[in-house]
Amino acid sequence: MTKYLVATDVGGTCTDTIVFATGEPVRLGKALSTPPNFADGVLDSIRSAAVSMALTLEQLLSQTSLFVHGSTVVDNAILTRDGARTGLVTTAGFEDTLLVTRGAYGRWGGLTEDRFKHPVKTDRAPALVDPDCIVGLAERADYKGAILVDLDEAVAEKALRHLIDEKHVDAVAVSFLWSFYNPANEQKVKRILERIAPGVYCTLSSDIAPTPGEYERTSTTVINAYAGQITRSYLQSLEALLAKTGYREPVLVMQGYGGLLPAHEAAERSIGMLECGPAAGVIGSKALGDLLGHPDVIATDMGGTTFKVSVIQNGSIEYAREPMVDRFHYTQPKIEVVSIGAGGGSIISLEPGSMAPRVGPRSAGSRPGPVCYGLGGTEPTLTDVFMLIGYMDPDIFLGGAMTLDKAAAYRAFKEKIADPLGMGVEEAAFGVYRVAAAQIADLIHEITVERGLDPRDFILHSFGGSCGMLAGMFSQELNVKQVVVPYTASVNCAFGLVSADIVHEYSTSTVLPVPSPAALVNAIFEPMTAKALRQLKDEGFEGSRVQLEWSVDLRYSRQVHQVTTQVAAPTPLDDAGLAQLIADYEALYERKFGKGSAYREAGIEMTQFRLTARGLMTRPELAPLPLDGIDSSAARIGRRRVFVEAADGMAEADIYDFEKLRPGNVVTGPAVIHTPITTIVLQDRQRGTVDAYRNVLIDFLR
Amino acid sequence: MDPITFSIIRHRLFRVVEEAVITLKHVSGSAITNEGHDLMVSLYRADGSLLMGGVGFLHHLTSAAEACKAVIRRFQGQINEGDIYLLNDPYTAALHTSDIYLVSPIHHNGVLVAWSACFVHVFDIGAMNPGGFAPDATDIYSEGFSSPGIKLVAGGELRQDVWDTLLNMVRGPEMVALDLRSMIACNNVARERTLALVEKYGPETFDQACQLLIAQSEQRLRERLSELPDGQWQSRQYVDVKGTVHRVVLTMKKQGDRLIFDFTGSSPQSKYSINCSKWASIGGLFAPLFPLLCYDIVWNEGVIRPIEMIAPEGTIVNATRPAPVSVATVGAIQSVNNAACSTIGKMLAASERYADEATAVWHANHFAIFMFGNNQKGNQTIGILTETFAGAGGARTFGDGVDVGGEIPNPISRMANVETIEATFPVRYLFRRRLRDSGGPGRYRGGTGGEMAIISHDAPDGGIDYVLSGKGTKFPMSDGLGGGYSGSSNDYVWIHAPKDGRNTDRFAQTLDGITGDKEPISWGVFPLRGDDVLYVRWNGGGGVGDPLERSIDMVRDDVLGRTISDEAAREIYGVVLKDGKVEPDATAERRKALRSARAGLEIAQ
Amino acid sequence: MTRRRASQTLVLDDGQVCCSACGHGLVPIGQSWKPRARLSSVAVASMPGAGLGIDQRLELRLFTCPACAALLDSETALPEDPFLEDIIYA
Repeated sequence: MTKYLVATDVGGTCTDTIVFATGEPVRLGKALSTPPNFADGVLDSIRSAAVSMALTLEQLLSQTSLFVHGSTVVDNAILTRDGARTGLVTTAGFEDTLLVTRGAYGRWGGLTEDRFKHPVKTDRAPALVDPDCIVGLAERADYKGAILVDLDEAVAEKALRHLIDEKHVDAVAVSFLWSFYNPANEQKVKRILERIAPGVYCTLSSDIAPTPGEYERTSTTVINAYAGQITRSYLQSLEALLAKTGYREPVLVMQGYGGLLPAHEAAERSIGMLECGPAAGVIGSKALGDLLGHPDVIATDMGGTTFKVSVIQNGSIEYAREPMVDRFHYTQPKIEVVSIGAGGGSIISLEPGSMAPRVGPRSAGSRPGPVCYGLGGTEPTLTDVFMLIGYMDPDIFLGGAMTLDKAAAYRAFKEKIADPLGMGVEEAAFGVYRVAAAQIADLIHEITVERGLDPRDFILHSFGGSCGMLAGMFSQELNVKQVVVPYTASVNCAFGLVSADIVHEYSTSTVLPVPSPAALVNAIFEPMTAKALRQLKDEGFEGSRVQLEWSVDLRYSRQVHQVTTQVAAPTPLDDAGLAQLIADYEALYERKFGKGSAYREAGIEMTQFRLTARGLMTRPELAPLPLDGIDSSAARIGRRRVFVEAADGMAEADIYDFEKLRPGNVVTGPAVIHTPITTIVLQDRQRGTVDAYRNVLIDFLR
Repeated sequence: MDPITFSIIRHRLFRVVEEAVITLKHVSGSAITNEGHDLMVSLYRADGSLLMGGVGFLHHLTSAAEACKAVIRRFQGQINEGDIYLLNDPYTAALHTSDIYLVSPIHHNGVLVAWSACFVHVFDIGAMNPGGFAPDATDIYSEGFSSPGIKLVAGGELRQDVWDTLLNMVRGPEMVALDLRSMIACNNVARERTLALVEKYGPETFDQACQLLIAQSEQRLRERLSELPDGQWQSRQYVDVKGTVHRVVLTMKKQGDRLIFDFTGSSPQSKYSINCSKWASIGGLFAPLFPLLCYDIVWNEGVIRPIEMIAPEGTIVNATRPAPVSVATVGAIQSVNNAACSTIGKMLAASERYADEATAVWHANHFAIFMFGNNQKGNQTIGILTETFAGAGGARTFGDGVDVGGEIPNPISRMANVETIEATFPVRYLFRRRLRDSGGPGRYRGGTGGEMAIISHDAPDGGIDYVLSGKGTKFPMSDGLGGGYSGSSNDYVWIHAPKDGRNTDRFAQTLDGITGDKEPISWGVFPLRGDDVLYVRWNGGGGVGDPLERSIDMVRDDVLGRTISDEAAREIYGVVLKDGKVEPDATAERRKALRSARAGLEIAQ
Repeated sequence: MTRRRASQTLVLDDGQVCCSACGHGLVPIGQSWKPRARLSSVAVASMPGAGLGIDQRLELRLFTCPACAALLDSETALPEDPFLEDIIYA
C-alpha cells in the first residue's frame, strides 16, 4: 500500500528529509550533502528517516506515492564554475552586453556596503562564456517587435558551426535585442542548431526570460545554457537511482518561485532551480501561517553561515527585484529572500581600532566549526557565545550524540574577545549576543520598511537550528505580535516542499496604456491560459484541482518602479474588474513607495502580464493533537544560570525537555527549552505555549 | 563608551542612512536617481559637521555639511522642529543649481541633536537649457532657480508659496515636484529613525557615540597618513571648451598626519560654465579621498580634519559670483576628482604597505547629454544618456583596470539597458561596445571605455534634440601611474546623413562604416534628425607601469579579445602578432627598438 | 643606508633617489628627479587609439633611467607646461 509522501531538500551542508503519512507522526531524516554527486546524499537522507521508522530504504520507497525534491545542484554548479562550455549568439553590435554588465553593475553587484566603499579592490567576476565564444549576427528588431534586419540563415549556420566545431561549445545561448516581442529570429537559430547539432544544449532568451532589459535577459539565458546539461543529468540520474531502489512514481522539483515542476520539465529549466531551497522554506512558512491563521509573516531562518529573511504579506509572497546568483544577475520570478552573514558558525571578531565586536560575515561552517564542537575550530563563533551564556547544554547537544567542549570555547573567547576588550568572559559574551540580536533586528526592520510595512503587524517564524536562541531577543526589539518556533524548524525547506503546488509561470511582455478595454487584457491572457490548461492536464490536473491567478506589472509612465499587482476580480475581466486592478495597484504603490510618491498625471502603463497556473496538490494533513493542561512541570529537567536581558546578566532559569512537553503546556520565561535539534530561549516576560501541532508560540507580556 | 553599545549605535546609524536612501529612490522613481544613483544622503551633528556619509555621489558629503552650516548661520534662532530647508546656490554650498539640497534639523525634546541632508539632481531647474547643464550660460543668472537657503517646510507644514515659486520656474514641474517630495520623505525617514535611536539610548549616550565615531575616524586617518611618506605629488588636468584651454593644477603635500591640496597655478575662472565654487572643490577632492584612503573608516568630520585645501579666489576651482558653474560636476569638479585621484594614487604607490591601494585615474571625462523632445508615444521627455555612468576603471598596481568599470566618486553607478532607452526615447542604437585601444597602456592596462551610436527612430517630430556638455575630446585625462599612459579621450561626432540619401548604411557596425560628413562637436544644443547619427566614445582608465613590461601573453589575449588592436600591440606594447599568434623574435626586436627610441635627449640642467 | 620605496619605479637609497631596476642615483632626496632622467616625447595624437580631436601639440613625455632605460614615469602635457614634480621629503 503506497502511503508515504517523501520530501528531500539538498542544501549546501545537509540533506534533509521529511516523511508524511496520514495518521502517523512526521518523520525526519538528515545526512550530510555529497557534492558533486548529490544524489547519493539524497538516498542517505531518506535512509536515515527509514531507519527511524524501522524500515529499510527500499521498504520506505516502495510504499511512497510521491517524492518531492529541491536541490542546490544548480547554485553549486555556478559557484564552482562547473557548467558546460557555452557559446553566446547575439545581435551584431551588442556582443559585449554580457561582458560589460551595464558598467560597474557587475563590479559591485552582490557585494556588501563595506566592499562598495573600497572600489580599488573590486572586480567583475569573469563571465560564464569565454569572450571568443560570443558571436554577433546581423539581425535587428525594434521596440515594437518589428524586424528591421532579417537573419541570414546561411550566415547563422556558419557561425554556429564555428562555435561547435572550432570553439567546442556544448551549449548555446541565443539572445537578440527585443526578442521577447518577436522571437522569430531566435527561433530560426534554434531550428538550425537542432538540425546541425541536436546534442548541443540550446536556450533562447525569448523562451527562458521574455522580459525587457537585454543585459539581465542575456545573463539569464547564458546561466540556463551553462547549467543545462548538469541539471538534466542530475535529475535523470536521481530518477533512475530512485527507480532502482523501489520508487517509480513522479518526481517533482522545486523552483525558485516556490512552485513544483515535474522532473522532466525542471530538467529543461536549470535557472528555475536557483535558490529553490530557500524558496521552499518560504513556502513552508506560508503553509504554517495558513494553518495557524496568520496571513502576515516574517519568516527567518538561521543556519550555520547565513541568516535569511523573507516577508509574507496578506498571504502574498514577494518576488525578488534584481536576483543574483554568485556575482551574476538574472531575471526570473524568484522568491525574495534577503540574507546576511550571521549564522551559528559566524566568527566573532573585533574591529581593529574601535574594538567594536563583529558577528561574521566569515563563518567557520560546520568544519572546522565552532570551537566547542572540538573539530579543530579556533575562532569563537556565535554558537560558542550561545554556549558561554548558558543557552546550550554541552551534554545534550543533538540528543547527546555530540558532547560540546565548553572549556575550550571559554578559553578561545577569553583570549580573542574578552581580554582585548578588557571585559569578563560572560560580560563580553552578553555583549556579542546583544550585537548579533541588534544587527538582525536592524536587517528585518530595513526589509519591512523597504516594503512600506510595519513589523508590529507581523508574526515572526523562527526556523533553523540556532534561531530559537536569538528570536526572543530580536523579536522583542522589533515588537512583532508573536513568535512561532515551528516543530519542523530544522527541516523547514523539506516541509516547504510538501506544502507546495505544481506551479507554472507564464508571462507576456507588452505595453498597454491605462485605460484600455478589458477585452485587450483578456486577449493577452487567453493564449497563456490555453497553454497552461493543456500543460496541467498532461500532468493530471483538471477542474477543481486547477487554479489560475492573474497578475499584472504596472508603472507610472515617467517613473521606473514596476509593481506586480494581483488581479482580485473574476477573470476574464470586465471593465469594472480592470478598474479594480488599477485601484489596487495605486494603493499598493503608495504603500510601498510612500505617500505622494506617484506621479499619476503622467499616466499608468501595464507592462507585463503574468499567469500563475497551479495544479493543487493534496497537502498532508497535520493532525492536531489533543491539548493537555498548561502545567509544564513534568518537562522541567532542572535549572541553571543563563543570560537574561532584563537582568543585564546571568540569572537562574528553568530548563525544559521539549520531548516531555505536551500540547497546551505553558512555559514562562526566563527559560530554556531543549529539543533534539534546536534550543528555544524565552526571555523575561515572555511566555511559550506548545500548540496542538507541537509548535512553540512565544508571546510577549507587556 | 562600551564597545557593545557603540557597535550597535553605529550599525543603527548606517541603517538610518540606508533606509533614507531607499525612501529617496522609491518616492522619486526617476531614472537618474535610480539608475545613475545620482543622489546622496548623510547625517550631520547639531553643528553641521558630517557624522555619517553614505554611498552616492561622494562630492556632496562635504558640501551638504556646508549647507547645514549655512542654514544654521542664516536662520539662527528660527530653526524649529519639523523644518526643512532648501539650498542650491553654488556660491553658498551647492555644486550647481540642479543639485538641490534639502536639509532637516532633528530635534529631541526641543533640543537640536542632528541634521539630515540629501540631494538629487532634479529633473530641471529652469536654466537656459533643459536638464540643468547650460553650456551656453555666461553667468549664473542664466542657470535657473538658485537659493542660498530658504525654508521649504516650516514645522511640518509645507510652505506653498515657496513650493509654487520654485515649480513656477522649471520645466516639467510635476517631475521636479516628485524629486522634492522624495527628498522630503527621505529626510522624514532619517529624522524618525535617528530619533528612535536617541530615544532608546538617551541623548547623552547618542552624543557620546557620535563624538567617538568622529574621534575614531580622525585617529585612524591620521595614523594612516603618518604611515605614508612625507612628500609632494603633482597633477595637472586640462579642460578645453571651444578652443580655450584651462588648467587645474594640483600640488598635494603630505606632512606628518596632515594632507594639503594646493590648487595654486590653476587657470583663472572661465567664461564657460565649467567653473566650480570653493565648496565644490572641497567636495571634489574628498570624492576620491574617501574610497582611496578611508575605505575602512567611517566617512565623517574626523577624516575631514586632517585635510586642508588652498584654492586661490578667482580661479577655475574657486570661481567668484557671478561666474557660470552649471557644468561644474562634469567640468572643474571632475578635474579636481581626477587630479586628487592621481596625487593620492602616487602617494599610496610610494608606500610599501599601501602600494596595492594605489590606482591610476578612472573615467576622467563625464559627458552630460540630455535628450529632449517628443518621444514615440507623443510624450514630452527629457532624459540623460546614461553611458556617462558606465565609466572605465583605472589600472591597479596588481592588475588591469575594469573595462567599462564605473568611476571612483560614484561607487555604485550603472548605465541603462539599450532596450530601456529605446523604449523611452525615439532612438535606435546601431551598436554599443567596449572601445578598442581606449584603456591606458601599461604593464597593467587601464580599463576600456566604450563607444555607441544612435539614430532617430519613430520620432513624431522627425527627431529629438540634445544638450551636450562634453569635454575631454582634446585632452585625455585619465592619467596613468608609475609610467602608465593615460586612457583615451572622448569624442562626440554628429554624422550628417548624405544629402542624396544614397549609400546610407544605418546598420553599420563601426564609426567608419557610417556614411556621411563627420562633424566633431562637444558643447551646445544639437538636433538628431532623419538619418543623422550621434556617435559617442568615452575614455578608458589610466594604465599602471611600462607597457613594454606587460606580459606578452596578456597582450595577445587583449588583441584576441578586441580590447587592443594589432597596431597598438606592435607600436605601444612591442608585441608582434601574426594571425593571432605571437612572433617571439619579432617581438623581442620590437621591444628592444622601442626601448632604444626612448633613450632621447638628456635634459641640460 | 636603508633602501626605501619611493614610487612604482624609484627607491630612496643612501640619500639618493634611484632607479629601482638598476640602482642608478638620479638626485639627492628632496629634489625633483625628472630633470635628471632621459626624456623622449611622443605626439599623443599619433598613437593608436588616439581620439579624433586630440590637440596636435599634446605630448606624452617618457622619463627613463639614463643608465638602464627603464621607464620611470610618464606624463601627458602641452609643451609649454613644466614637468610634474613628485618629491619625497626625507
